[in-house]
Amino acid sequence: MKVLVTVKEVAAVEDDFEIDGLSIDDRYLEYDLNEWDDYAVEAAVQIAEAADEDVEVVAATIGPERSEETIRMALAKGADRAVRVWDDAIADQTLLDVNAKASVFEQVVAEEEPDLVLTGVQAADDALGATGVALANRVGYQWAAVVNDLDYAAGDDVATVRRELEGGVEEITEVDLPAVLSIQTGINEPRYASLRGIRQAQQKEIAPHDLSDLGLDAETVDGALELTDMYEPESESDATIFEGGAEETATELANVLRDKGVVGE
Amino acid sequence: MLDYVGLEGDLDEEERLIRDTARRFVEEEVRDDIGQHWIDGTFPTDLVSEMGDLGFYAPNLEGYGSPNVSETAYGLLMQELEACDSGLRSMASVQGALVMYPIHAFGSEEQKERWLPDLGAGDAVGCFGLTEPEHGSNPSAMETRAEKDGDEYVLNGSKTWITNSPIADVAVVWAKDRSTDGDPVRGFLVETDRDGVTTNEIDEKLSLRASVTGEVSLQDARVPEDAVLPGVEGMKGPLSCLTQARYGIAWGAVGAARDCFETARQYATDREQFGGPIGRFQLQQQKLAEMATQITTAQLLAYRLAELKERGDLRPQHVSMAKRNNVRMAREQAPVAREMLGGNGIVADHSPMRHMANLETVYTYEGTHDIHTLILGEDLTGIAAFE
Ligand SMILES: Cc1cc2nc3c(=O)[nH]c(=O)nc-3n(C[C@H](O)[C@H](O)[C@H](O)COP(=O)(O)OP(=O)(O)OC[C@H]3O[C@@H](n4cnc5c(N)ncnc54)[C@H](O)[C@@H]3O)c2cc1C
Repeated sequence: MKVLVTVKEVAAVEDDFEIDGLSIDDRYLEYDLNEWDDYAVEAAVQIAEAADEDVEVVAATIGPERSEETIRMALAKGADRAVRVWDDAIADQTLLDVNAKASVFEQVVAEEEPDLVLTGVQAADDALGATGVALANRVGYQWAAVVNDLDYAAGDDVATVRRELEGGVEEITEVDLPAVLSIQTGINEPRYASLRGIRQAQQKEIAPHDLSDLGLDAETVDGALELTDMYEPESESDATIFEGGAEETATELANVLRDKGVVGE
Repeated sequence: MLDYVGLEGDLDEEERLIRDTARRFVEEEVRDDIGQHWIDGTFPTDLVSEMGDLGFYAPNLEGYGSPNVSETAYGLLMQELEACDSGLRSMASVQGALVMYPIHAFGSEEQKERWLPDLGAGDAVGCFGLTEPEHGSNPSAMETRAEKDGDEYVLNGSKTWITNSPIADVAVVWAKDRSTDGDPVRGFLVETDRDGVTTNEIDEKLSLRASVTGEVSLQDARVPEDAVLPGVEGMKGPLSCLTQARYGIAWGAVGAARDCFETARQYATDREQFGGPIGRFQLQQQKLAEMATQITTAQLLAYRLAELKERGDLRPQHVSMAKRNNVRMAREQAPVAREMLGGNGIVADHSPMRHMANLETVYTYEGTHDIHTLILGEDLTGIAAFE
């Protein structure tokens, strides 16, 4: 069987940063594999490792050449190969919206024909949280979103999943394959890539595709959303976060309450 | 993270991923607890197999399960481990450079197959027994001896200051082979559960506390004749291992110093006195400037060493210079970071004083600073001044 995992390189912003037009200046960014995707990769690799049959884990990403290093980390953790989609038309977008991403991944799914697609619940940068489900809708797969427990063995026709709903409610449900599952953090403990895995990953394929390779044209990624401005919201008040054990933080809080006159001396 | 002249910018992708993995592992799995282990005088033993799973032991060797990474990648790994604690790096150094390396270089096929995969995975722990109570800087005067008796060797003597001996499954013991002409030094693979072998722990160390140190006492300890490493005779056996380990130390010291620097830099920008961060005072800036400069020049030496090692032009004297320089640098800079933290600098919550204490060991083991001075002196003048 084949498991497709969508992965994304996301930028984390340093505490102090400068905004340059519609983006944050590159000096303040550090790129890393999206946290949710790390869990999705682990879930896929665990299915492959536990299987009696051959399970191929393919990572798919939409990202510039720079992102190969991040994708390589997914390969080092056990994915077998990767597909990377990029195009000038994608680079020209101020914001790649869910529709555009779903269109790209729809073609990747058409090409790869995976039995199971795992996505992260959301990406840490734009936090749209809809790509997985939108993709399921496009390709006509079953889906389950925000999966925090997965019971599935390679070859099964049905996956039993536990979904995290709002307000602390959880749902256990069964999903027929082929399916798209969006994976929540905490579902497993993502491994560290071993040095052996990192070495082996250097030999694994990251196949580059542009839109025309996928039979798409530039308009496909012209989304309805456009980024028009980026600014730091004015903070209305300062928040202080006390760190440490309960005793320590309680004392500090008490001091503040006393200082502000909320409680008497 | 300090990398002032951008040396890490020239790393290849594989090296960057290895650096990032080691950095993240240390950050997420070790850093929070290391201070407590240091206070308790314990090594976090869970990490033995975790580091094995990640391939942290002798990853620069080829075959027998080792991934064979570049010497730079290996150096970066040592740097990141020691940025956490010298004891953590010592674990990896001993297991990899002092135990796996000699088996790999001088062992028989059976010895390699018996030990390398297990040691590499952290399923077995090894230690390296060279130093003796009466012979430290001059190990060639060692008294530990092996006598052939039928198809066995009988070992007698005592080794001390042996990193990991109390938790080791196997010791590489260097002893004089009395049954061969000239009593050459030879290496023996001695399982620590053999009769006549004891490994008492040395307590109350004030340095390298998050690392277990002990003795290896051999009293009529019998090992089969195939326990001897067949491929080497004489002091070049242990000395070649030390060259490997010292190479890692030259990198590790940069990590320890960098961690001191980063802690001090952070503190200097956070801590306010006289109405602003202490980092605005020239006195504090001078300390940071000097620290950064010293770390950067040591780092340059480490990178050059990696190049020489990779292409086979590295001489032991090069390693002596780098070990000597980089450890001294770290040993001198750690107290500067410590003092910048004021009173907070003396608690285990902050790393500089722990590094500072650890570096006393690093300055002493693997050839003391003085001994490396003499090695360089001999290389530069052709005149040995050891005696
Ligand atoms: C925590 C720790 C872990 C260790 N782990 C190991 C291990 O795993 N395996 C192992 O075999 N050993 C290990 N060692 C031992 C270490 O290598 C020795 O301590 C070191 O070689 C110095 O030997 P010594 O302590 O006997 O000091 P000595 O050799 O007695 O030296 C005392 C002082 O005299 C100086 N000195 C000695 N000779 C000369 C000279 N010719 N000229 C000028 N000055 C000189 C030295 O520089 C030093 O300052 C460890 C030590 C420590 C502290």
